[in-house]
Amino acid sequence: MTSNTTANTITQGTAERLRVAGLHAPTGAVLSVRDLNVRFNTENGVVHAVRGIDFDVLPGKTLGIVGESGSGKSVTSMAIMGLLPPTAEISGSVRLNGKELLGLSDKAMCQYRGNDLAMVFQDPLSSLTPVYTVGTQIIEALTVHNPTMSKRAKGARAVELLGLVGIPSPKDRLKAFPHEFSGGMRQRVMIAIAIANNPRVLIADEPTTALDVTIQAQVLEVLHAAQEETGAAVVMITHDLGVVAGMADDIMVMYAGRPVETGSVDDIYYSPRMPYTMGLLGAVPRVDVAEKTSLVPIEGIPPNLVHPPTGCSFAPRCPLASEACLDGEPDLREVAQGAGHSAACIKTGVLADVDGHAIFAVPAVPVSRFDRLPRQERKTVLELRDVRKHFPLMKGALLKRRIGTVKAVDGLSFDIREGECFSIVGESGCGKTTTLLEIMEFHKDQDGEVVIGGLSNKQSADARAKAGMRRELQMVFQDPTGALDPRFTVYEVLAEPMENLGMPRAAIRKRIMELMELVGLQADHVNRFPNQFSGGQRQRIGIARALAVNPRLVVLDEPVSALDVSVQAGVINLLDKLRAELGLSYLMVAHDLSVVRHISNRVAVMYLGKIVEIGDVDAVFDNPRHPYTRALLSAIPVPDPELERTRERIILQGDLPSPLEAPAGCNFATRCPVFAALPPARQEKCLTLEPALEPAATDQQFACFYPDGELDADMVVVHENH
Amino acid sequence: MFRYLAKRAFTYVFMIFLTTSAGYLLAVSTLQPALLEQERIPRPTPDQVVNSFRLKGLDPTLNPWERYVDWLTAILTRWDWGRSPNGAFINAEFGDRVWISTRLFLASIILTLVIGVALGVYTAARQYKASDRVITSYSYLMYIVPAPIAYFLVQLGAININETVGERVFFVTGISTPGLDGGGWDQFIDMLAHYAVPTFAITIVGWGAYQIAQRQYLLDNVNADFVRTARAKGLTRNQAISRHALRVSFIPVAQSIAFTIPAIFAGGFFAEKIFAWHGVGSWSIDSIALQDVNAATATLAYGSVIFAVGAILADFATTLVDPRVRVQ
Repeated sequence: MTSNTTANTITQGTAERLRVAGLHAPTGAVLSVRDLNVRFNTENGVVHAVRGIDFDVLPGKTLGIVGESGSGKSVTSMAIMGLLPPTAEISGSVRLNGKELLGLSDKAMCQYRGNDLAMVFQDPLSSLTPVYTVGTQIIEALTVHNPTMSKRAKGARAVELLGLVGIPSPKDRLKAFPHEFSGGMRQRVMIAIAIANNPRVLIADEPTTALDVTIQAQVLEVLHAAQEETGAAVVMITHDLGVVAGMADDIMVMYAGRPVETGSVDDIYYSPRMPYTMGLLGAVPRVDVAEKTSLVPIEGIPPNLVHPPTGCSFAPRCPLASEACLDGEPDLREVAQGAGHSAACIKTGVLADVDGHAIFAVPAVPVSRFDRLPRQERKTVLELRDVRKHFPLMKGALLKRRIGTVKAVDGLSFDIREGECFSIVGESGCGKTTTLLEIMEFHKDQDGEVVIGGLSNKQSADARAKAGMRRELQMVFQDPTGALDPRFTVYEVLAEPMENLGMPRAAIRKRIMELMELVGLQADHVNRFPNQFSGGQRQRIGIARALAVNPRLVVLDEPVSALDVSVQAGVINLLDKLRAELGLSYLMVAHDLSVVRHISNRVAVMYLGKIVEIGDVDAVFDNPRHPYTRALLSAIPVPDPELERTRERIILQGDLPSPLEAPAGCNFATRCPVFAALPPARQEKCLTLEPALEPAATDQQFACFYPDGELDADMVVVHENH
Repeated sequence: MFRYLAKRAFTYVFMIFLTTSAGYLLAVSTLQPALLEQERIPRPTPDQVVNSFRLKGLDPTLNPWERYVDWLTAILTRWDWGRSPNGAFINAEFGDRVWISTRLFLASIILTLVIGVALGVYTAARQYKASDRVITSYSYLMYIVPAPIAYFLVQLGAININETVGERVFFVTGISTPGLDGGGWDQFIDMLAHYAVPTFAITIVGWGAYQIAQRQYLLDNVNADFVRTARAKGLTRNQAISRHALRVSFIPVAQSIAFTIPAIFAGGFFAEKIFAWHGVGSWSIDSIALQDVNAATATLAYGSVIFAVGAILADFATTLVDPRVRVQ
């Protein structure tokens, strides 16, 4: 679109605002959004979900939109696509190549949707129609916009598209149904559908949030390839600052339905000028940094958009908020003349070269009394010796026969000492959760020995021993909402484990008040129900419940993966503090390696039921020896654009193999980048012998014949095109 | 596929055998046709009764187990399901009864399914609009109103029409006019006049359930992620719903339809009684009133077979519409 038409269609005030925002009509913008407002009529009143958004995207460029859940990111993208329910009131202007899209009928909009304007959605598992083949669904996208295209040409194009997004043997896979694909493969199909008609604009709404890190790296790579192939402008919506750091050219930070900071990716990451952006950046743990500082927690919750804010919408959560902040909502203002970097904060000027950690009240790094003792001198809290869990795979309805074995956990041994946090990481399906379940099972007939606080499952596994075990070990679950009975008050939730142990009522009451304070909740909230708390607070209740009986070991199953970054930071800080103050040990399972690095002392990397590398977290993360660990670490996006651009990334091929196809030698050989680069003579060893964890002098063991081997060039990707 | 079918068929045959045997033993130990014979005039002597029953294979002096063994042997060796106390052969009567039930229900059930599913889709697409509210309320009303009352109301309506017009347009009972001669055209008009009222009554009562189910399942799917994907491809909302949501929402409906279709042949008691079409449904109830052990058991066995066929059809229907389900 041209600046002329902009000036004609929008008011003088908006034009001025745009000029200031640095977003004014760069010629050739393929998508221009001006003063976009979305209101929903709800039972509680009119929710003003998006309040005045302006941006332009140039062909081949990527705009990242980041913010917490509820900040209006997805609503913005749906409004552009015209996919909001008809009850939504939308105003403003959305122009695609100069043509106004807002106000078009559903039918008229169909000319653009899937053609010039395409979208990839968040959840690949539910985004494809289960009853049609993948081929049918891709071809449908072609048919809608090319009615004259021959059947043969459409088939050929569909094969080409599937090949483009990296689906092996695309011709055969066309006939497959979505349920025959893994999550990562389905997201590739979604991308294939989106780019079928060479769109000018591709909107990706959290395209990798539901995927494992290694698969995330693959899908981001495919998106990148798709962008290069089509030259499309990409709008990338995400809450993960790491994901956009490497992909985006420009960033828009949204809060409470408005952009609060916009600028180039370097501006936003290296010199943020809005406290919210600073908080978000400080809240993200880094996988590549060993130095330990506490994370920046942004207390409070985003405002309710039923009531129009009278002051800065972030003021209630902002540590720098002053009287002036409450007087009118600040406009997006240019930080420096002509730099294209704007922030909506009246203190922008003061915030240059200020560290986010300094303005937010970041707690000091807690030090545990055990930290000074060398590991060997501390008592062992949990020990696993050769624990196995094999599931028989049966076939047949009446007469079942065994056709194989799923080795969910296959000979696991590790120990956890007092005051340390031990984490298990790996892709979904590697056996992390089964390991936890085996520990909680604590039964005599288990394969392998579990020793918890000196109690072994082999010696006495009667009810009393089990009760003793439960006192030593408690668990915090992944989904804080699902883990709390909605009909129990917080008091009842916390009292239950203590009543179980027969504590007197007065003692329970006192302990509950202690617990509430310990996890940072108000003691007078004990009579509330879980649904009256936010997600982060619910997870705090979950932690308080686990601590009620004074356990020595707390098992954390993905404790923060269901929480927003800003809330996650608070919970991680709390866990850190509790470990230090109470001398707790943690056994944590997590897929987010950044969180693991931040909180753990030791880490084990699991692959198909086995530990492939184990040791001190800094040793493993700074100097990974096993190719799988190297691949996992390289797949984690880092919130540092400079580093992301030059970083070497190992893209593993395919998904976790099915347990039935587990190779005879090294489990990882089928996907191993080192194996792929080996001469056949040396590959032989990987295929026939199973590498074991070798004892080492330092605290780092790995199971690989060729650590530090050359990586296969095809699996390594470096982007230096920025 | 065939192995699967054979396996399922075997299971169902075994289940049918169990239910039928249990049914026979229950019937033979509780039903006493001899008592009804006592009410005849002139009153037969007990010896005469026993004698007459023995000739029909209904010897009341044998114990239930012996009679069961006899009954089962006759079925397994000669496919002979025995006789009624009045001497009628079950095998002979059975075919007539099934044919009557089928004629009564076939048209109305097809209409029920088509109208129910179509209205379900129509109302789901117009959720909360006036047409949706009217149709869905009507369906719920039909849920609540007992079927016989609705049938009587339809009958009354038809009689009213007849009276208003002044001649007999509709027949409210019976299958055909006895002794009607005339050409094919007259026969056809007579058939229509007999079919119209029961078919109409059964249909308007029946489609409510399908309308509600189809509407509900479709509504569960109109906002599904895959419908959004289809719209993002460039399909209009209505296209996306009809191509993507409809098929998915039809999966559970197809199952219940598969169960309904064989039930056509089993008939229904109220409709058969009220419209005086003497099919399987009324036979099963009548046979109990008439203390008829063999007929009661035969209708029970038939019901079990129909249910088994329905279950297998439901499996097929699911496999047909849902590629995620595989027959193993």
